[in-house]
Amino acid sequence: MVYITSWDEFVDRSVQLFRADPESTRYCMKYRQCDGKLVLKVTDNKECLKFKTDQAQDAKKMEKLNNIFFTLMARGPDADVSEVAGKEQMEMQPPKKGRGRKQ
Amino acid sequence: MVLLQPDPFLNELTSMFERSTEKGSVWVTLKRSSLKSKVQRNKMKTAGETIEYRCLVRATDGKKTISTSVGMKDHQRFQASYATILKAHMTALKKRERKDKKKSAVDKKEEGSKKP
Repeated sequence: MVYITSWDEFVDRSVQLFRADPESTRYCMKYRQCDGKLVLKVTDNKECLKFKTDQAQDAKKMEKLNNIFFTLMARGPDADVSEVAGKEQMEMQPPKKGRGRKQ
Repeated sequence: MVLLQPDPFLNELTSMFERSTEKGSVWVTLKRSSLKSKVQRNKMKTAGETIEYRCLVRATDGKKTISTSVGMKDHQRFQASYATILKAHMTALKKRERKDKKKSAVDKKEEGSKKP
């Protein structure tokens, strides 16, 4: 089981994994309220990527990832535009607020 | 394994989360599926028909398993409701309270949307 520490790396590698084999790649999530832990797993039955966290901010990132996976799975692995647009849109919004706060 | 429509599935998922607040986990798995056997899929390919893929979502609390199949048309609505449910229940996760100047500069970019 490979636990990945960087969120972005986890996302990139899982999308790559899915694009390489959409038929057998699956995305699993386990949440334990009593421990306050969230674990994500993406596997194509040959390779496995995992990410674990107890941070609330990672729950938000996970939601974006959920959107990406839903789109990829429902529309097909070539749903390039929606993934990029989804990520870019989310990245666009924070910098604006960030600049406002610094000023 | 109970196969439900997307809306009842979401309701059941909510109750699963509520039931496992004191102990237990909730597992949710997402997988792409066409819901057809390999033979049928090959036949459709040779006939030149496009195979409609759906997103299979399974959830379990260790005792009971529920599942649903979401197609292209429903997926936007489903993912919005699903995200709401997750946000509402993932309350046990820690909030970052570090006050490092270096880290907060990076965090502000990431968390700009979090802070109103």
